[in-house]
Amino acid sequence: MSGNPYQDDRGNTDASVTNPHGQGRLTPAGTQPNPMPGKQGPFLVGENMTGGYGKTGPDILHDCTIEVERGEIAVIVGPNGAGKSTAMKAVFGMLDLRQGRVLLDGQDITQLTPQARVRHGMGFVPQTSNIFTSMTVEENLEMGAFIREDDFRSSMEQVYELFPILREKRNQAAGELSGGQRQQVAVGRALMTQPKLLMLDEPTAGVSPIVMDELFDRIIEVARTGISILMVEQNARQALEIADKGYVLVQGANGYSGTGKELLADPDVRRSFLGG
Amino acid sequence: MDLLNGFVALANFVLIPAIAYGSQLALGALGVTLIYGILRFSNFAHGDTMAVGTMFAVLTTWGLQAMGVGLGPFPTALLAIPFGILGATGIVLLTDRYVYRFYRAQKAKPVILVIVSMGVMFIYNGFTRIIIGPDDQRFADGERFVISARDFKEMTGLAEGLSLRTSQVITVITAIVVVAILFWFLNKTRTGKSMRAFSDNEDLALLSGINPERVVLVTWLIVASLATVAGVLYGLDKSFKPFTYFQLLLPIFAAAIVGGMGNPLGAIAGGFVIAFSEVGITYAWKKVLGYLMPPALQPDGLMQMLSTEYKFAISFVILVIVLLFRPTGLFRGKSL
Amino acid sequence: MRTFLLFALVACLILGTGVLQSWNSALLILNMGLVSAVMALGVNLQWGLAGLFNVGVMGFVALGGLAVVLVSMPPVGAAWQAGGGGILLGLTLGAASIVAAVLVWSRTSGTLRGWATAAVLLVGLVIYRMVLDPAVEAVESIDSASTGYLGGLGLPVLLAWPVGGVLAAGAAWVIGKTALGLRSDYLAIATLGIAEIVIAILKNEDWMARGVKNVIGLPRPVPNEVDLQNDPAFVERAADFGIDPTTASTLYVKLEYGLLFAAVLVILLVLSQLALNSPWGRMMRAIRDNETAARAMGKNVTARHLQVFVLGSAICGIAGAMMTTLDGQLTPGSYQPLRYTFLIWVMVIVGGSGNNLGAVLGGFLIWFLWVQVEPMGQLVMSGITSGLSDGSWLKGHLLDSVQHMRLLTMGVILLLVLRLNPRGLLPER
Repeated sequence: MSGNPYQDDRGNTDASVTNPHGQGRLTPAGTQPNPMPGKQGPFLVGENMTGGYGKTGPDILHDCTIEVERGEIAVIVGPNGAGKSTAMKAVFGMLDLRQGRVLLDGQDITQLTPQARVRHGMGFVPQTSNIFTSMTVEENLEMGAFIREDDFRSSMEQVYELFPILREKRNQAAGELSGGQRQQVAVGRALMTQPKLLMLDEPTAGVSPIVMDELFDRIIEVARTGISILMVEQNARQALEIADKGYVLVQGANGYSGTGKELLADPDVRRSFLGG
Repeated sequence: MDLLNGFVALANFVLIPAIAYGSQLALGALGVTLIYGILRFSNFAHGDTMAVGTMFAVLTTWGLQAMGVGLGPFPTALLAIPFGILGATGIVLLTDRYVYRFYRAQKAKPVILVIVSMGVMFIYNGFTRIIIGPDDQRFADGERFVISARDFKEMTGLAEGLSLRTSQVITVITAIVVVAILFWFLNKTRTGKSMRAFSDNEDLALLSGINPERVVLVTWLIVASLATVAGVLYGLDKSFKPFTYFQLLLPIFAAAIVGGMGNPLGAIAGGFVIAFSEVGITYAWKKVLGYLMPPALQPDGLMQMLSTEYKFAISFVILVIVLLFRPTGLFRGKSL
Repeated sequence: MRTFLLFALVACLILGTGVLQSWNSALLILNMGLVSAVMALGVNLQWGLAGLFNVGVMGFVALGGLAVVLVSMPPVGAAWQAGGGGILLGLTLGAASIVAAVLVWSRTSGTLRGWATAAVLLVGLVIYRMVLDPAVEAVESIDSASTGYLGGLGLPVLLAWPVGGVLAAGAAWVIGKTALGLRSDYLAIATLGIAEIVIAILKNEDWMARGVKNVIGLPRPVPNEVDLQNDPAFVERAADFGIDPTTASTLYVKLEYGLLFAAVLVILLVLSQLALNSPWGRMMRAIRDNETAARAMGKNVTARHLQVFVLGSAICGIAGAMMTTLDGQLTPGSYQPLRYTFLIWVMVIVGGSGNNLGAVLGGFLIWFLWVQVEPMGQLVMSGITSGLSDGSWLKGHLLDSVQHMRLLTMGVILLLVLRLNPRGLLPER
């Protein structure tokens, strides 16, 4: 109400004059199309990130640092409200950072728009609404490759090899698929840009345990091709089992970090987050 | 023979006019539905966009006629359509640049845009009336009939005549061509697909690198073209009067909603549903029934369910009935 | 303070008209401004307080106008004898067949359901037309040059104002019940449609209010100018003020209308303000600002929306009745959506959605501009065209087009306000 008067619709939901479907909610923080020189280091660094939503919102992240090496799987876990997804959004440029910076492959990308980050090799799979439901599977993949000027058929072939079920269903509307298959479409769409870093926001939310295991297998396969993976997960134990590196966030700050195995073995982490 | 006569009468007074009118409504509804799908509001200025486009076409037609350029048996206005589209596109893009774009940047709620479109409606309305005046303008020329009722009677020896006006034939053919191109564009081209993607999920489209401003630009281009074509066809079939075009807003909205807002296929179906109900319910069925029914059962009255002045009421009643039984319209509110 | 200054500005504009043009036109603007303010108040109740998008204001205004005819005109005895009973019977049968169809629909099921309902409707329609048509014909043939309709009830015209409100409220209830009850809300298109239907009925059902033949000479709540001019006491008083009796009588009549309208406006404004600040108003705003939360708290949102929609439409109906009374005639042909629906929206948005005083201010200000843009445009245009030779085609065309400047101006004003000051001149808070 008190905010932007242009966004005050007085609670009107009249379907004959307004269309709420698919409306954009993203508020990109960055504005620049080109990165600045940074320093060499790990492939992706989110350094001392502090910030919150909007220009005036309260800080959600406090001095949080996340690093991913090339071809590595990094997992962010933590209790509800710890700022896991927020940390990932900060890396992707959908959060106003008040301190800290984001480096990708030695370049400072802190001021980049999300689209520019996609062009620089970041692929992002949001937690919800991550596919074009009214379009076919193949069209979803095509849209993933929208920024590419070259021939993307080989990438599509790779996606189909990774997720054979998608080849079968390629002419079906993506919205008609099951939950697990939708996630495969979502990951496939992000892979079409040939990213060097794939970011997944709770890819297994709402899918059955069997499907979850299969998804994790596929994610390992993706990582083997040299793509770095940054993933936020609710299912902490399973995720840490496949992780090269794990971050436990507590109230927007780094709580514990280490390799997946170390965290799984750490008695503190086990007691507080993994249920004994 | 009676059966044949009855069918000819039916075709002459109901089927042909309804198909022509339905095509015009469908083209109008397509424009409304595209805006609804991509810019996410109902454009109250659409009727007046049609009027603006048609006005440019009418002015060009007069110019061409004055220069002696014509198309022989076809109306000169066909030549003028591209100029009409050009004019409408110019106006619409100017409006987008100086009016709508600001609200997109503000991420304004769609209902604010609806009110904005009311302002645009006032401006277009005034603009059209200032330039061409509020009166009826005729601009059709060329052969009036493909088949006139008299020729038809002589040809077939039937008691009933069937007249097929050039404008009706042109309307249907043009509508089919335009719709085919539009569907090819939306489903087969990269830009068209990006429009559908944007309509489906704006955020994901952004993350895929689709440029929203480009999508919006293309949408306005298409909408201006559709509106102009629809307007010129309607004008050829009937006549051009700014107020009538403004009034078309209700049947066009009704068609778009009946079909399922945001769904192009639905817009076309809706256009024909509305057109057939309007023409069918306001037609005096006495003649047709006279041929089809045995003499004993022949009706005395005109068998006209409602007088023609109620045609706007019919679009509305159909709309309510459809919504009562299928709240998302005939084609489930799938986006584009 | 801002409120006071802006109202003072509008007062100055109207007084300025009186001084510069004539007091007659100033009072005309004032009176229609009062009526417009009432309409804006109604729309503001719906849009400002509940976010309901009513684009059928014209229909409710016209229903108010119809009420004036139905209440105040003397009944036409011959017409009642000829077909009054038939028409009443026909209407009853029509309503009964709709009720029967609804009953059939709700009591049956299966494939037969649709066909049975359709059959009932069709039979109902046939019987309805069989009863109604001859009656209508009989009524319309009675002295069709001057009457040809059933006439009214012959009651005092002031009674028509609340009746107009009730009539509009009834229509609003039906339309709201249908459109708000659907799974998602379709109020905008429904109101757009109902307005067209109301106008179509007014234009075509000659037995009711003579259709496009118009009903003229409606009874007035104020004295006639001619009677005043013939009243020696009045002429004497006018002479005391130094005005000639003819001018004095028109001014006096208009002033009296103005007082009546002002009384209605003040009453409605006070009621609206009280409603706005009552628990009911707070609840409405709570629903508007967060519908989900309000629903979770057990508020029946649809019922509240229906309530406020009916109330707002009733106010529009009252305004419509007032306007028709002022005109002294009902002319269905003159109802146009731009003037009676969208212009009212401009008033509400410019004045300030959600603020009752804003709506009233918008009503006066926009009406003033609506009337005065034409003479102003005339002035500007004759300035522009003064360089052109007399009788040239362009000059004539430009001068002709002045009458359409007001539409353009209204659009520009609406867009400017929405852009620069989207909360309106008097923001909600």
